[in-house]
Amino acid sequence: MSSQSYQKVALCCPVTEPYVRRSEHGAAWFLARTLRRLIDAAGITKSTIDGLCVSSFTLPPDTAVGFTQQVGLSPRFLEWLPMGGACGIIALRRAARAVQAGDAEIVACIAGDTANETSFRDLLASFSSFSRDAVYPYGAGGPNASFALIADAYMRATGATREDFGRLAVSQRANARRNPLALLRAPLSLEEYLAARPISEPLHLLDCVMPCAGADGFLVMPEKRARALKLPFVRILGAIERHNAFPGDPVQLRGGWAMDRDALWNQAGIGPDDVQMVQTYDDYAVISMLQFEGLGLCPPGEGPAFVRRHDFTIEGSLPHNTGGGQLSMGQAGAAGGYLGAVEAMRQLLGTAEGRQVPNARHALVGGFGMINYDRGLCTAATVLSAA
Amino acid sequence: MIRLQRCLDCGEAQYPPREFCGACLSSRLTWETAESLPGRVLARTVLHHSNESAMRPRLPLTLGLVRFDAGPVAVCFLASTAASGDCVEVRLNAEALLEAA
Repeated sequence: MSSQSYQKVALCCPVTEPYVRRSEHGAAWFLARTLRRLIDAAGITKSTIDGLCVSSFTLPPDTAVGFTQQVGLSPRFLEWLPMGGACGIIALRRAARAVQAGDAEIVACIAGDTANETSFRDLLASFSSFSRDAVYPYGAGGPNASFALIADAYMRATGATREDFGRLAVSQRANARRNPLALLRAPLSLEEYLAARPISEPLHLLDCVMPCAGADGFLVMPEKRARALKLPFVRILGAIERHNAFPGDPVQLRGGWAMDRDALWNQAGIGPDDVQMVQTYDDYAVISMLQFEGLGLCPPGEGPAFVRRHDFTIEGSLPHNTGGGQLSMGQAGAAGGYLGAVEAMRQLLGTAEGRQVPNARHALVGGFGMINYDRGLCTAATVLSAA
Repeated sequence: MIRLQRCLDCGEAQYPPREFCGACLSSRLTWETAESLPGRVLARTVLHHSNESAMRPRLPLTLGLVRFDAGPVAVCFLASTAASGDCVEVRLNAEALLEAA
């Protein structure tokens, strides 16, 4: 049975609590600031928000539940979505269904984290039971080592080179240079990318996202309500999620997108050639390649040829990670799972200022999260449309 | 010696260990003991950065994803000469793991 449409649901008010390299504040501070930004952007009172989706790695021991008391909200719909890089798209799906069902009228979706000297290490050391028992003791490389193994297998399976990964890093930096919210805005050449020091071969420094603090958010409500509030909005044409796809694959050379891609495009009523931009979850470049393949932009295994064929800058043949992606914006923990959706919303609302993609009508956004052991378990994607 | 967990009901071997069989959800599990487990290197990385200061003197470390002939896939320390595609014998090196702990 096919999934019902997301019609009559509006996505409004993409906001970002600016990223910083380190912070003395707690995660709740970033999330509360983001909530405040949403309230201000929508011109509503706090108590009007009756639904809430929250994602954060550093909010524990609190969850979305404790956060309601901290910020004085009494929602009738509440989701805690610890799904890492897939959490933004999954929040959008959950919130849209709640709005369609009448379980909530205005849902605030927020994700964010703090970052300090110990937070990242602490997170890695106890990321999951499998990771704690069977990955972290082997050198404590964290995600760099896990993705290096996937990248190595992918390079040997497809012929991808470091230059191919570098093309993505370099084009994203070019896009980031036009985004005041990006933390990394210095010019970057392919030569500089290739000369970076090794971190976990084949990955080098500029393959790795920089952990930082920050938060992102947006509102989900009925179109009718958005119109009444005079808020510009974006529509959801289709959305998918999948967890622990293809468990029998010995190495992750494909994500769950491959299982649900047809359902996504059927629901959207358009095809991969009809989008004017793609926002992938880019920790790391190899995962962007898996999204290009899994979401039907190119056949399986042809990610490298696809990357060589396209110019991914704002005015290029296929604008990709138009705000700079995590590689240039930084990875503010769970906010990394919102970044693509928030950037796509800005582009479709025409508010991407110095980096606006011309005539942006449709955007594809991918999400990928949670290296529980040897692979990312959560995959998601959405096709968004200008209203 | 190295131990691999196996389900007494469906016969599936699994790693990392857990309290139930990930295939059939049985709780009837046993440990098979061997000198070493044969496998093949699926992927390899040379680690130059560790999040634990205690590990740093040992860098660079060669790590691999090894698929045991018995089925499961494990993250392992590799000999620096081991390459992807190589057949290897996986042994428990308690000393290496203790240093990592």
